Amino acid sequence: MQRPAPAKFELLVRRDDSDEFELRQVASVVGYLNSRPRRVDPESYEISELRSRLAVAPGFILKNTTTDRFLLLSAPERFLWDQMDGATSLQEIATAYVLKYGEFDFEIIPSLLRKLQRAQLLTFEPRSRLRAALARNRGRVVVKALELALTSLERIRIASHNVQGFFQALYRFGGFLVFTPIAAIAGAVLAVLGAAAAVVLFHDVRDMLEGFGGHALRGILTVKLVFFASVALHQLVHGLACIHYRRRVREFGFTFLHGFVPTFYVDVTDIFMASRRARVVTAVTGALVHLVLGAVAFIVAAQAPPGSFRQAFAAASGIIQWQALVVALYPFCFIEMDGYHILVDVLGAPTLKHDAIAYAKRLLTGAGRIRQGREELLWIGYVALSTLSVAAFIAFNVWIVLSATH
Amino acid sequence: MQASAETLTFLRDVRVFELFSGPDLAVVTGRLRERDLRRHQILFREGDRGDEMFIVRRGTMLISKAVTGKVEQVLVRVEPFDFFGEMSLFDGSPRSATAQAETDVELLILGRDSMQAMTETAPHAAAAFFYAMVQVFMERLRRSTLQVAEATRWGLEATGLDVEGR
Repeated sequence: MQRPAPAKFELLVRRDDSDEFELRQVASVVGYLNSRPRRVDPESYEISELRSRLAVAPGFILKNTTTDRFLLLSAPERFLWDQMDGATSLQEIATAYVLKYGEFDFEIIPSLLRKLQRAQLLTFEPRSRLRAALARNRGRVVVKALELALTSLERIRIASHNVQGFFQALYRFGGFLVFTPIAAIAGAVLAVLGAAAAVVLFHDVRDMLEGFGGHALRGILTVKLVFFASVALHQLVHGLACIHYRRRVREFGFTFLHGFVPTFYVDVTDIFMASRRARVVTAVTGALVHLVLGAVAFIVAAQAPPGSFRQAFAAASGIIQWQALVVALYPFCFIEMDGYHILVDVLGAPTLKHDAIAYAKRLLTGAGRIRQGREELLWIGYVALSTLSVAAFIAFNVWIVLSATH
Repeated sequence: MQASAETLTFLRDVRVFELFSGPDLAVVTGRLRERDLRRHQILFREGDRGDEMFIVRRGTMLISKAVTGKVEQVLVRVEPFDFFGEMSLFDGSPRSATAQAETDVELLILGRDSMQAMTETAPHAAAAFFYAMVQVFMERLRRSTLQVAEATRWGLEATGLDVEGR
């Protein structure tokens, strides 16, 4: 029998303060890809490796300790099971699977979900711990207001799915220049000049930030707001890279991450269908926007009259742009930015952060023992480096503000 | 409104007036009012009071029901020769959905007083009107049942819920 087409809803989405509206078709498959399966609590299941001299690939036995039901999982299924933490969408899980195994089996996820549901090993609880905690304490007025505010902010999402034409035109009318050797050389020269200017300027941070007239903190916050515009440029360049490798840009927009972090974003997941080089270039070029802007800002600051507002503003912009470059490309900071994605792609360990934090937590709570395997060393290295890096990052910013204000 | 030949010809193809005699249709036509809507203009909102039904003469109307926040589900598109808003015509209840123009629209309006006058002065025409209306109601009820089933299918597909295996 022919399978029916996915069910669709036609939704009418109103705009603020006008009769204007937009019509959107939402197929059930979109809901499916965005669903976040969550395995039951750890005390409700046990998992152990099945060792066999005959079988080439390892297998796993998953037991539901509440119902005493057993499931046999293959290694890829075990990998998928580990992703089902209630925070990762099926689309992200599928992407992680492709990164890990280099191919995609279209039936493995639906069939595993069916198996897990039959064994009552999946739940449908709220996806975020914060949101779950808020839901539990909804009786309090403050909590209810906070929950309402987060929900409202999460709904703010200005996005367009029809951006391929825009990015293609942008690429055709000059965007392609970003991916030429001349652009690479110009970027490198600017970076060297910018670094030289920064070294000169950093001889006395206090003089440099004097132009803010004793209100360095307020000045830096203003610079942060201006910096926000460069985040849009960062995302645009990611999109251009995607076009450069003849892949499709699926979406571009603005939203509040987790309900409170304002950000621009671009969906370039189609780049996963291209080579590793394409993925790395796409990730790196977006971040290099901050290198170039930061270098230009330092050069401007070095040319400006000492102690002037122009010098202070340009120098602070340079610092923030280069910090953004480091945060974007440096993989060891507990944030899954461009550098992290490059690292996990190269290592073939798409769940590095998740696994490393889980391992460190087990060690700290005494639930696990230190082992000498390659993976364990990688996990410990990731957590140690990330912790040190975050501490250094905070210390650097505190030093900048203190130097400027005293 | 003058019973123009154009409106008379149009009404002959409207389901609820199909069985009307020429003189009866001319009387009804004389009682209809006209209204134009520009694209995306709201005619009425869910919860508004109302006692009129609307026949689409030109353009397309969208009937939608609030789901959450600013999001509404499109229940149906109303094309020329079709009508909507008839529930409030009969019982004067608040509008159960919102009606807005998808394109520029021309509407003909039949008020409750006109329907009551038709019942008194042209009982044969009124009987034909109500008979056709009952048939339309049944068709819409069947469509609503299909929509409920479709919504259930959407939910099952979107969650990947394995009902057969339980």
